[in-house]
Amino acid sequence: MKTIQLLGEIIEISNSNLEINSRMQAILNIISHRMEFEEVLVFKLDKDKRLTCSYANEKSRLYPIVNKYRCHIGEGVIGTVAQKRVPQYFNHNDIPPRFGCIFFNELDDVMYNYRSFAFIPVSDDSFLYGVLVVISRSMEGIKDNDKILLAIIAREIGGLLKTNDLLINSKKRISELVTLSELGKILTTNLEPQTILKNTVFTIAKALNAVFASINIDWPIPKMECHRFVYGNLNGSLAEIVEDCEKQAIQQKKTITYEYYNDNNDLQVKKIYSLYSSPILTKNKAIGVLTIGFLKPGKNFYQNEDMLYITTTITNYIANGLENILLSTKLKEVIKELNETQKRVIEQEKFKSLGEMMANIAHEIKNPLVVIGGFTKRLAKKVNLSQTENRYANIIVSEVARLESILNDVLNYVKEPPPILDECNINACIEDILYLFTSDGSWEGIKITKDLDPSLPLILCDVQQMKQVFINMILNSFEAMNGKGEITIQTKNIADDENHPQIMISISDTGGGIDPTIIENIFNPFFTTKEKGTGLGLAISNKIVKNIGGRIEIENIVGKGVTFKIYLPVNKNKNNGEV
Amino acid sequence: MKNKKILIVDDEENIRILFKEELEDEGYAVDLASNGFEAIEKVKNNSYDLVVLDIKMPGIDGIQTLNEIKKINTNQPVILCSAYGEFRQDFSSWASDAYVVKSADTKELKQTIAKILTQNG
Repeated sequence: MKTIQLLGEIIEISNSNLEINSRMQAILNIISHRMEFEEVLVFKLDKDKRLTCSYANEKSRLYPIVNKYRCHIGEGVIGTVAQKRVPQYFNHNDIPPRFGCIFFNELDDVMYNYRSFAFIPVSDDSFLYGVLVVISRSMEGIKDNDKILLAIIAREIGGLLKTNDLLINSKKRISELVTLSELGKILTTNLEPQTILKNTVFTIAKALNAVFASINIDWPIPKMECHRFVYGNLNGSLAEIVEDCEKQAIQQKKTITYEYYNDNNDLQVKKIYSLYSSPILTKNKAIGVLTIGFLKPGKNFYQNEDMLYITTTITNYIANGLENILLSTKLKEVIKELNETQKRVIEQEKFKSLGEMMANIAHEIKNPLVVIGGFTKRLAKKVNLSQTENRYANIIVSEVARLESILNDVLNYVKEPPPILDECNINACIEDILYLFTSDGSWEGIKITKDLDPSLPLILCDVQQMKQVFINMILNSFEAMNGKGEITIQTKNIADDENHPQIMISISDTGGGIDPTIIENIFNPFFTTKEKGTGLGLAISNKIVKNIGGRIEIENIVGKGVTFKIYLPVNKNKNNGEV
Repeated sequence: MKNKKILIVDDEENIRILFKEELEDEGYAVDLASNGFEAIEKVKNNSYDLVVLDIKMPGIDGIQTLNEIKKINTNQPVILCSAYGEFRQDFSSWASDAYVVKSADTKELKQTIAKILTQNG
């Protein structure tokens, strides 16, 4: 009757609404009180497969000692019971040395007080949840009846722990889901990326009850100076540690954990942080790192597998969202830039056509003005005018001159820009052009031999004009050889007869040379032997080279080929660039 | 210098008259053409010591006319004379022997003509 009443009470407590610790303690107290055991302890199997003494009856004296250490499955009495799931009993003849861990040496001083021990696995058919330990001073050992009763109670405790685990897990899952859905909401808002990132770290820190949460973005975000977003306190040595963790996380491409003992505390309180750094990966490339920091509640706080899992889940979850945000921000910037450029181009076009219109009007006015001024002059010259009439004529002429000068300003307004003289590396210029040509399939039949003098000094010229010269020359060679033959390009640093430094660029082909009867015409404008040639190529080249004080020479070997030699002066004084 | 034969090409009649009278005063023999086609025909059939060519003309412009004239006779001296200043920078105008900006003051034109005719003997 007593037994049934006891079980009834235990089941009632077990099914009550109380918090797990209170329920457990109440149950253990009942066992201690009714069954006369001084010590009733429950070692709980944690996620990391280690056993911790988590619950005890109120008057337990052993609890403070055994709670300090944790033991592995298979280690000592408790470990063995947990492993084999078979109860073990001891009496005064065979007191167990220590409960299972060599660190329990403090037990040695108190163990002699006790005479009867029972270690009962707390399990159901498939899982082990821990070990129930009951100890008494009675010399009689554990009675058989009690053994049966304890086995039933252990099962009941197992059920309680199981339900509680499920409850905690489902609560955790729900809170995870809530966190993730919060994050989802934040990541899909239309806010600035800065705000989104700030909200993200806030939500993570709040949801996980963390000391801080930080996201360090390793991605160029336009108009964003700060790349770290933090909620909570993150400064001093902690910040350095976090940076270290971030580096490791990126290197290893997985979530890493770190325990940090902060000795440097003014309040003389040692703080232990446990940090989780997880790389934010998209397409296997880290675009940033999420780091979450927790304060450890106590020494026995174990490595939290859950946190590792949650941190990784959150990071995976925000990775895609963040990438989208960052990409769309970049896209927005690019579109904005594009729009601005377009606007500018339109402005320029408007301006240009306005300029053209002005030039047209000016041109139309100019002709009659020339006629008025011209004939007034002639009139004054032809007729014998009086002083007054002569003065009038002069006024007309000078006013026409004034108008003409205004119109000239307008007409010059839209003219082409003058050549831009700059220091130019001729070798690089030639390489550029050759690259351009040889990437064309029709140049497959051309063998190009380069002999470029690396000591070639820079030349003051308009690079674009100079390129035009080389393009003309090389194209001529190409056409002379009908796309098959050899072009030799040589550059050389030389001095002319008067010892002025200059450079020579020679371009030779194997195109059979030029007919000697026409050779003196080749630099004439509009002279061409090609069907579709404009006859301006060589004329323009010649003009460009002459403009910067150089010259072009031709070496013509009929039946073999032509060599164009371009000589350019080296202008040492680049500030005096007008040539 | 005297008896040199100059062809003036301009679409504006009054300009043609002004230049003709001014140049005749200098002692040149002056012939006129009012557009590019006429100028090309005249260069084909006559021998001029110099052609003064306007650029902006209906039909074919001065640059094209210059091109055609140089095809007929590479050594034909040609002066481009236009209200535009900008063509000085244009590659195509380099084919001409000189470029003069059109002005009521014909001094620059006369000087340029004299210089070119002296160069060519």
